[in-house]
Amino acid sequence: MLRGQGSASVALSGETIALPRVGAQERTAVQSGVITTSIEKLIQWGRYSSLWPALFGLACCAIEMMATGASRYDMSRFGAEVFRASPRQADVMIVAGRVSQKMGPVLRHIYDQMPEPKWVISMGACASSGGMFNNYAIIQGVDKVVPVDIYLPGCPPRPEGLLDAIIKLQKKIARERPGSLLG
Amino acid sequence: MTALPPVQPPPSRDPLSEQYEHGRDLLGVETGLDSVDLVQLGESTMELNMGPQHPSTHGVLRLVLELDGEIVRQCKPDIGYLHTGFEKDFERHNYQQCIPYTDRMDYLSPLFNNLGFSLAVERLLGIDVPPRAQYLRVIMCELTRIASHLLWYGTSALDLGATTPFVYAWRDREKLLDINELVSGVRMHTSFIRVGGLLADVPDEFYGLVSEVIKTFPRRIDEHELLITKNPIWRERTIGLGVISAEDAMSYGASGPVLRGSGIPYDLRKAQPYSSYDHFDFDVPIGRNGDVYDRYLVRMQEMRESLKILDQAFNNLPDGPVNSSDRRVTLPPRNEINTSMESLIYHFKLVTEGFRTPVGHVYQAVESPRGELGFYIVSDGSNRPYRVKVRAPSFSNLSALPHMVHGELIADVVAVIGSIDILLGDVDR
Amino acid sequence: MTTAHQAEASRPVHGARAAELIARELPDAVLRRGVAYGEETVWIARERLVEVCTLLRDHADGRYRIPLHVTAVDWPDREPDEPRFDVVYQLRSLQHNDTCRLIVRVPEDDPSVPSLEKVFAGMDWHEREAYDLLGITFTGHHDLRRLLLPADWEGHPLRKDYVSFGEPVAFTHNLEWALPEQERPRDLPGETR
Repeated sequence: MLRGQGSASVALSGETIALPRVGAQERTAVQSGVITTSIEKLIQWGRYSSLWPALFGLACCAIEMMATGASRYDMSRFGAEVFRASPRQADVMIVAGRVSQKMGPVLRHIYDQMPEPKWVISMGACASSGGMFNNYAIIQGVDKVVPVDIYLPGCPPRPEGLLDAIIKLQKKIARERPGSLLG
Repeated sequence: MTALPPVQPPPSRDPLSEQYEHGRDLLGVETGLDSVDLVQLGESTMELNMGPQHPSTHGVLRLVLELDGEIVRQCKPDIGYLHTGFEKDFERHNYQQCIPYTDRMDYLSPLFNNLGFSLAVERLLGIDVPPRAQYLRVIMCELTRIASHLLWYGTSALDLGATTPFVYAWRDREKLLDINELVSGVRMHTSFIRVGGLLADVPDEFYGLVSEVIKTFPRRIDEHELLITKNPIWRERTIGLGVISAEDAMSYGASGPVLRGSGIPYDLRKAQPYSSYDHFDFDVPIGRNGDVYDRYLVRMQEMRESLKILDQAFNNLPDGPVNSSDRRVTLPPRNEINTSMESLIYHFKLVTEGFRTPVGHVYQAVESPRGELGFYIVSDGSNRPYRVKVRAPSFSNLSALPHMVHGELIADVVAVIGSIDILLGDVDR
Repeated sequence: MTTAHQAEASRPVHGARAAELIARELPDAVLRRGVAYGEETVWIARERLVEVCTLLRDHADGRYRIPLHVTAVDWPDREPDEPRFDVVYQLRSLQHNDTCRLIVRVPEDDPSVPSLEKVFAGMDWHEREAYDLLGITFTGHHDLRRLLLPADWEGHPLRKDYVSFGEPVAFTHNLEWALPEQERPRDLPGETR
């Protein structure tokens, strides 16, 4: 819509745009960034309301993740029940369980395969910090391998805890900007 | 490129005949054969990597499959993606500190790990566990067995495409997790069974919940069976698949439903009873053919047998203390600490240092839902185990997988893995 | 309800049947026998291991057909007088409802034992795990490589000289070595609360 007018890139709120032959009211509205902000909010709402987790259940936390998806603590209320086996179709990776030294490269590989935008919830004590296993075999926190957005403590965290993490991630996504989509 | 002659629709109802002949013409293969034949396109096999991140491998298991078309010629499992170094951690902690570690090994049936470890240490120490604790251990363990089998049922049905059993199984599992939470505060890793007895006595609401389970679960298990046992798709996909003979199962060291599915009536609860299992009357279900379907039936029936044991244990639950009276192991009661000096010292020593075991080694096995879970504990006389070797049932059961899937289709590999009921925390430790 | 002691005493000693069998048929393979906690252990000479296990598996009095596990216990303080590793085998007989334990002692400079892969199919993975975690080599194994750890891992974690440590955790008493210089707080945490 705005691109067709021959202007330069679309502005974020506050900047002035040089638009040829636009009426005064429309110029103000566009200058204050009302239209673009609504679209940002809309895009982010779409993103957080249907987060598709990539299956990355490793150990005991995976069982609680499955319990969160099951009937009592229904995760599909929050749009996140569709666990995709292929990381190319997923937006959030819930690292549920302890990551061993052998699994670390695999974790990074799967993370790299996910398309942008992507988020990571590190579920449980073992994923967040190595948990009770301060030894040779476990990577002491997956933030050594992938960037983490939400840390969820617990051993294992209750399903309500995982739901809380998803809701906090949704709020975090609502605060973010869509970024590259609008230039 | 020459123009292709127009293909006429075949006169008969067989859609393949004429186009097939025409296709074989184009390929240069000799025509005039009566039946549909496989065209040998190549001699080499394909190596397919399955896992470690895979929806149906029940954890982080990597299988390197050598495929001839869709038939598995060779299967090489690559494990270790969940290796946690439990056995090294056991050497660094004292005996009571090891109990929460044992929970996380076989994380679907954590109470069995606790039980095996505690029984082994109790044998080393030579102490008795009071009868009430033994019966409560049996009750909690059988509840865990049902929970584990329900989860197995839900996930292996889900692997083969049936989504309803998953939700049914989890709905019922939640009731059992509620009981766990009531007695210990945690849904899964309860650490309820300790050396010398239990964490604490059960609260009053326990009786209501357990009697409800005993009353309602038989019918629920019948519902679960109703969903898939006679279902033709399930039967097609599981009968005659993944067969392992009794001889081979024994040679691989398989145990539990894998061994019993092949017809061997061996159950440690009957053969070498521990924790008062000899007081209860129950049967050991066995299969006939050693295929996936038999293992499925064995586990479903095992759930019913567990309910029988639960019924007997619950109705005859004796009164009394839940911890051994041996002061070397059990904390003294709180009121005594204020009055008696020895109790205070015992309390202090037990909490800071833990108890010491005599020098020696024992092997204690329990019948977990996956098979024989054994703990080989070597003690050097100090407050920490010198070496703990965990004999994991899934490790041995999984080593039989290449034997079971040889010659099967790749889609059946998923069914066979589900039927062995592996748990990677157990396999990799 | 009998006490644990009484129950133990009344039960037959686990592994006594196996010990008797070996003592009868292959007496020179037995180095030592010992009973403790209701279980009998037989110490076997290294070179006779395959023979002994085949006897235990096939003889009608034995029928120990299930391999339970293979592991090793590391006693570094026993060197140089006595061998360092105790390789422990445990077998189960369903027919006679019994478990037996065999121990083979191997020194540190030559921690090799003949492989039992041909005798029991399940020993394949158990031996690979023992090699992986403890460094015991099994001669005659068709493919002895690491099972649980990555293929390029160095060292054998369950040996007593292998220090297993993930990461130092910072408490108030160990801030000097747990945190790098820049991250140490100038005041101790908690004092302002």
